[in-house]
Amino acid sequence: MAGLLNAPSPPRWLLAELTYACPLQCPYCSNPLDYANLSNELSTNDWKRVLKQSRDMGAVQLGFSGGEPLVRKDLVELVEYSHELGYYINLITSGYNMDEAKIIELKEAGLDHIQVSIQASSQELNDFIAGTKSFEHKKSVAKLIKKHGYPMVLCVVLHRQNIHQMKDILDMAIELGADFVELANTQYYGWAHHNRDQLMPTQEQLQAAEAIANEYRDTQKGKMKIYYVVPDYYEGRPKACMNGWGTTFLTIAPDGVALPCHSARQLPNFDCPNVNDSSISDIWNKSKAFNYFRGDDWMKEPCRSCPEKDKDFGGCHCQAFLLTGDATNTDPVCDLSPLHHTVTDAIDKAAQTNQTVQQPLLFRNSKNSKLFNH
Amino acid sequence: MSLLTDHALQIAPGYRLQWEEAQNMFVLLYPEGLIELNQSSAEILQVCDGTKKLADIVHVLETKFETTGLESDIVNFLTIALDNGWLTQRA
Ligand code: SF4
Ligand code: SF4
Repeated sequence: MAGLLNAPSPPRWLLAELTYACPLQCPYCSNPLDYANLSNELSTNDWKRVLKQSRDMGAVQLGFSGGEPLVRKDLVELVEYSHELGYYINLITSGYNMDEAKIIELKEAGLDHIQVSIQASSQELNDFIAGTKSFEHKKSVAKLIKKHGYPMVLCVVLHRQNIHQMKDILDMAIELGADFVELANTQYYGWAHHNRDQLMPTQEQLQAAEAIANEYRDTQKGKMKIYYVVPDYYEGRPKACMNGWGTTFLTIAPDGVALPCHSARQLPNFDCPNVNDSSISDIWNKSKAFNYFRGDDWMKEPCRSCPEKDKDFGGCHCQAFLLTGDATNTDPVCDLSPLHHTVTDAIDKAAQTNQTVQQPLLFRNSKNSKLFNH
Repeated sequence: MSLLTDHALQIAPGYRLQWEEAQNMFVLLYPEGLIELNQSSAEILQVCDGTKKLADIVHVLETKFETTGLESDIVNFLTIALDNGWLTQRA
């Protein structure tokens, strides 16, 4: 496919990262390590322009995330405006700062669904991972979401420190009346990449967890949908990058940088465009960043001649960059990659960390973020 | 969930059927996902308004398209839609 010649398919999904501010400190956060240096949040009117232009192009699924989107004072106003435009609006929140009045206000503004993340099934571990006392409050928020007629999606990010709680986590989801449960194994970008040695579970832990997820999927059929996101380090084949780079997803960061994927801003010399300088349609159709990995002209071997390239698009470019230093390399998760050992080495290293030194997790907060000033 | 012929069908809570001008098609929207619908699926879902049972749905569509014999296709689709949680049924 000659990526640049054919008009790209329009975006269907807009992820609006409203702010990097967040009262929690999860050590697997996918926000950039140096987020504290990225100030200049977009104004309400900037966001409205982005919402309108993206909707005109065809975006229909909208996620408000962050950081913690509830921190933005104009959240209700933005939800109201997005609803008028016809978006299906998802709020992706930690639930912190949420109360019943806000839940009602957002519902009236047209919010379609709320996804609450919980860090673990016990107060002690939840509050430790979140770096903040929040467990009981999150549970009460989950119940209020149900009470006010939203579909309730519970999200739990899995890693070595909580994956043994799988059964309790699912029982908690049932107790809270979740309609969907997303059990997402940590993906190693941003803070998670930094903390990888302490977060990566062992193969045995993963197999045990997956078996439990499958068992509950059967017993909960028709009641609660369970999504289990596998960790690609153990897979042998990479995940398909965002359904194809620049085909479906558009992320706008708090400062207006437009990203083909939420991790793309770490790619060096990538020149991601900003909504302060260009329209969404120019960004989507014409910018270098969005065209970079469209089609397969950019591919090297072994992907270039691989029969599976239409299935996974060569895997994740951000992961290729993080592990091999070159985003145009084959995602090293693929066992056909000549650099696949970077993944197996990482697994071994994490396993050793597990047994010997207990290195502390680096929590995501602005003090730690400033360590990554560059 | 199996199809109950004496129950009325409707789009499940949290799901929304919507025409998308930019894509020139109907889509079914739900938490963090969307399904792009082909024309026949969209026609069937539009009739699932919470008042009609299987026989009514078949009747509406056969009248609209001036044809007969649609029932088995409609049953197939409704069964898939129920299994996926896109529809709910009530007495
Ligand atoms: S070589 Fe490339 S295209 Fe082939 S399976 Fe591996 S990542 Fe996918
Ligand atoms: S490059 Fe990687 S992180 Fe970025 S969208 Fe693709 S899969 Fe996701």
